[in-house]
Amino acid sequence: MNGSESDPLEPGLGHWLRERVAHYAQREPAEIDPSANLTSYGLDSVYALSLCGDIEDRLGLVLEPTVAWDHPTIEALAAHVEGMLTDARRPQDAG
Amino acid sequence: MTATELARRLGDPWDTANPAGHTAVLAADERGEPFGAGEQILDAIGLNAEFVPADLGGRLARLDDLIRVMRQVFRRDPALGLGYGASSLIAAVNVWTAGDGRQRRRAADLLLGGGRIAAGYHELAHGNDFAGSALSAYAGPDGRRRLDGRKEVIANAARAEALVLFARTSASPGSRSHSQLLVERADLPAAGCRDLPRFLTSGMRGVLLGGLAFRDCPVPADAVLGEPGRGIETALRSFQITRTALPAMAVGVLEAGLDATARFTDARVLYGRPLGDMPLIRSVLADAYADLLICDCLGLVAARSAHLVPDQMSLYASAVKYFVATLLTDAMYELSRVLGAQFYIRDGEYGIFQKLLRDLPPAGFGHAARAACLGTVLPQLPRLARRAWRAGDVPPVETYRLGGSLPPLSFDRLTVTSGGRDGHSAALTLALDAPDVPAEVRRLLHIVAVEFDALVRECAALPPGDLSVDARPEALDLPARYAAVLAATACVNVWLHNRDRGGEFLADPRWVVAALRRIVIRLRRDPGPRSRDQDRVLAAEALARHHRNSGFGLSDER
Repeated sequence: MNGSESDPLEPGLGHWLRERVAHYAQREPAEIDPSANLTSYGLDSVYALSLCGDIEDRLGLVLEPTVAWDHPTIEALAAHVEGMLTDARRPQDAG
Repeated sequence: MTATELARRLGDPWDTANPAGHTAVLAADERGEPFGAGEQILDAIGLNAEFVPADLGGRLARLDDLIRVMRQVFRRDPALGLGYGASSLIAAVNVWTAGDGRQRRRAADLLLGGGRIAAGYHELAHGNDFAGSALSAYAGPDGRRRLDGRKEVIANAARAEALVLFARTSASPGSRSHSQLLVERADLPAAGCRDLPRFLTSGMRGVLLGGLAFRDCPVPADAVLGEPGRGIETALRSFQITRTALPAMAVGVLEAGLDATARFTDARVLYGRPLGDMPLIRSVLADAYADLLICDCLGLVAARSAHLVPDQMSLYASAVKYFVATLLTDAMYELSRVLGAQFYIRDGEYGIFQKLLRDLPPAGFGHAARAACLGTVLPQLPRLARRAWRAGDVPPVETYRLGGSLPPLSFDRLTVTSGGRDGHSAALTLALDAPDVPAEVRRLLHIVAVEFDALVRECAALPPGDLSVDARPEALDLPARYAAVLAATACVNVWLHNRDRGGEFLADPRWVVAALRRIVIRLRRDPGPRSRDQDRVLAAEALARHHRNSGFGLSDER
């Protein structure tokens, strides 16, 4: 991975995702529950794909486009992406 | 089987004694039956092998070859093309994309043995919202899945040996709750599965449209294609192949329409001269022919892209489905005006035209409606607009070289989004800078490029509410305009990369000028005054192709 704009392991990722979800749902971030399924805010498969593109562009990662279908809450998505970032950062000879 | 050989077997369409000619096709249509003589010819050549990948013993190696062969079938009888063949292809691509080794083998054996697979997606209550499908396949008390619900307006539902059914396999919300099931009719107990009466249609009367109602109908344990819950993803990926191929096959319908119109303008004498000598008639013929060439370019470039840039097909397949279906439908309507009363008469020499006109509309709403296709492209555009849309990596030049070699078709490289990549748009920029481009081509390309820049700005500013089914009609116009830009890119690059290798007509820039003018009009821009010389060249070529009984595409081969 490359080109990250901020340290993705800081609590910022979940916060930023919440803002993106609020943007797509056209609500205030405070109204978005990070443990709720994205579909409960009317975000269908299409928005989940757009969200994936946003994450890729922000973090310079390549993800499965369907990542938010498999991890359909902000918490699950943030945990998955942070896991990927950790794996990518781990020195290759440590495995 | 080459397209040429198939065209030879189908014989002269205008010969009233030909059992596979227009007269016989029309008679079957009047009876509302599949075209028997046509089905016999396709049985004899084992057409189904065209739908089966080569590694499973079939002849499906290249999408452009498949399109060429099927275009012959659609040119003779669109109902034969859809009812005999393409409907099995729609079902089969799901198996090639998601099936395991055993399922792939079984589907291949079935097709290679002359059998059919019906595509069980549609439910009348849910239309193109296939995620809203109500047919369920939940596990029963004994662990076996059971079908409950119905599928409607399904080609060959009653006579297909197997079905690919799209069903809900989990009650959870989200996009991982549906699956495809490959089931053989012989494995379904009669008590759980009932055929619905045939659906009668205004066109495609030779396609046997039926349906099935399931009630607590157990299916074999290994019926689900791939991992349960992947159905929406499988549909979005595998249908990139059929959304590309089917409209390109349907270009054969416009070929037949142009053939009939050319014959009519040649034979009819009005006011003391052949109809085809009137400037108005010539302009209609020339426009329809230019539209056909645009469809041919876009269809073939997209088909070749499936091999060369499969990761970007989520954009191209839906754009092609939308744009080609629109052009074909509009061009056939324009041609009908040339035939006057003859297009309305159901028998006699030109009776075939009204049948073609009735058979074509499913190209626009069948399989995936045009609006649904625009809806697939639209949400991808803002991301492209935020990135350097026109500065990306261009596709390999082989993408535009007609007939050139191709790597194998890999279903596993198709993805649900293009990931912010669109090489063809970058190829527009490249064409603008290419050497030896006539001023008129460059001028028209420049209009397209300016329009594209406006499109980029509008896409970048798209509000989130416009990404879904709540999109404003103006928002859905963006992917429509994008499709037109893509068509211009395809046309100019096909001309650039084949002008020294594709024969005299293909090398002449007048066809690409005509094509770009038509696209500029679609973009609601003024292409400038039309040239009589250009109308004369294109109309004369259409007449010559009719006289030679050859193909009307970029190449005159069949």
